[in-house]
Amino acid sequence: MASRTAAALALGAALLARPASAQALAKLTVESFTQSSDTTRPQSDVPFRLIVTLRVRERINRIANLELPILADLELLGDERETVSGPRGSQYRETVTVVAHHSGTIAIAPATLQAIDARDGRAKQWYSNGLTLIVSGGASAPPVRLRTLALWFAGLCLALVLAWLFRRRPTLPLPAPQPAPTVAPAQLAVAPRARSRRDQLQDALTVLCAEQSRAAAVRVRAAVWRMLGAGDGETLGDLLRHVSPNGTMRELLIALERSAFTYDDDLSAAIDDACSALEREIGSPA
Amino acid sequence: MSETRRPDDLRAALAQTIVGQEGVIEALLLALLCNGHVLLEGPPGLAKTLACRSLAAALEAEFKRIQFTPDLLPSDIVGTRIFDQREAAFATVLGPVFANVVLADEINRAPAKVQSALLEAMQERQVTIGPQSFALPDPFVVMATMNPLDSEGTYTLPIAQMDRFLMKVNVGYPSRSDELEILDRFAVADTHPVRAVASLHDVLAWRAEAHSVHIDEKLKRYIVDLVAITRHGDRVRVPSESGTPVLVSELIDYGASPRATLALAFLARGRALLNGRDFALPDDVRAIAPHALRHRIGFNYRLATDGISLDRVIAAMIAAIPAP
Repeated sequence: MASRTAAALALGAALLARPASAQALAKLTVESFTQSSDTTRPQSDVPFRLIVTLRVRERINRIANLELPILADLELLGDERETVSGPRGSQYRETVTVVAHHSGTIAIAPATLQAIDARDGRAKQWYSNGLTLIVSGGASAPPVRLRTLALWFAGLCLALVLAWLFRRRPTLPLPAPQPAPTVAPAQLAVAPRARSRRDQLQDALTVLCAEQSRAAAVRVRAAVWRMLGAGDGETLGDLLRHVSPNGTMRELLIALERSAFTYDDDLSAAIDDACSALEREIGSPA
Repeated sequence: MSETRRPDDLRAALAQTIVGQEGVIEALLLALLCNGHVLLEGPPGLAKTLACRSLAAALEAEFKRIQFTPDLLPSDIVGTRIFDQREAAFATVLGPVFANVVLADEINRAPAKVQSALLEAMQERQVTIGPQSFALPDPFVVMATMNPLDSEGTYTLPIAQMDRFLMKVNVGYPSRSDELEILDRFAVADTHPVRAVASLHDVLAWRAEAHSVHIDEKLKRYIVDLVAITRHGDRVRVPSESGTPVLVSELIDYGASPRATLALAFLARGRALLNGRDFALPDDVRAIAPHALRHRIGFNYRLATDGISLDRVIAAMIAAIPAP
């Protein structure tokens, strides 16, 4: 549990520390926005990479208002951002190196981008795909599996050698060697699995309690709003009207709003209230 | 009594008397908290005078009503000097503008010179009569009305003058249920006089509180963006009467001034205080934005020729800026 909290703290600190420049929206023609992993089956305690790639038609130097998902189950080891611009547009690529400490399934919510759509001039929010990763085994598992594979491979080689030694002379010429088949790149992005509302709220609680800051409050607020299906540019009043949340969710939304907008001296109390409201909502019947 | 009174108590007291005009009540209270003035546009008979009178009664404040007419003179508003034959000296008679709550009824029926006299008093909060200057009472709220239906013989207020109003509120007819309640409440007996629920000192204290309401940086940027879009209206479209989308930038002559930016911030603070908060929210800004912006934007002839509602344009511009 302690390492889980530490992981949340580290990742939260890195992910939540982005400036909340929601108003300075860039005008972009988004061509693709994807999230992938360099493996679909990461090993426990073995680092792997999450890659968010955004292609836009404009030439840009940097991307603002791109938000990575909140992850409480992974520890952040590094974050690398790269923007390449050319005559046909720009590609932004953010590579986050992470490690999982527990086996099981991890669902990663989509990354989001807020920008003004250059096609119609409207402010919009784009979502990448989500990811579901299956973390397997402990760190000792790979050598055992490699040893087994090596034995199988040796046996296969021996069988091939024996077969060659006792083969009949071929009556037909050997077929021309075929070019090596092109190995298709592994399908990195896998279909997202819908996470339960409780899972998402638990993530939010972990992040907000670990990183008690305004930025964390703003990001958790955004995550909870997305979870409720809030539209672009909606206010709390709109959300309360559209969603008609129950008592505990309503309290949570109001507490998060306070955390996001109150003055600094009240921030700590506001975040405590929001954490309590999150706990109540998690504990309430679905 | 007044030490524990909150602005919401005042709102509740006014709601006892005025039915179906929550917008007008809120506008009056915001003007009081933000030390500004309100321009109300709506047909007669919508309890504008009653709202004003009730506000003054609820605060034990002085109320004056000035009916603007084409033959009104500036001295009829601010006051004048008259020669006292017994004393053989000039004496100053202060005009009806010297009150805490002033209702300037049909302000657009008086010529520009008279309008200007009132608007200068509103801005400077003092009046000069002859060689002497007189400070207006504090609080001092002017609620001016305009009738949109009858424009014969009226003098349009210049935009520069309109800018002095903190907000312009369009007063609409009450809903069916509100009108039924009006019948029940007022058809038989006279209106019950509003009892005093706060004092002028309370108002001054609330105003100081409103001034210290926190506005987050995200909200400040939101306000600035809202005002900025009124100056260019880039990429915002509204449907014309024929259904064809029209670019808002083609309808705007000029946008809101930095005074609008300040007004939005003041009003957001005031609304937060009215709702019992010491920090403002995006909802506060969004709720008051139409009232703070609608009289500060110069539209060209196409608004009328394309049959586009001014409020629809304002709503489209506000919707184009995502709330933080």
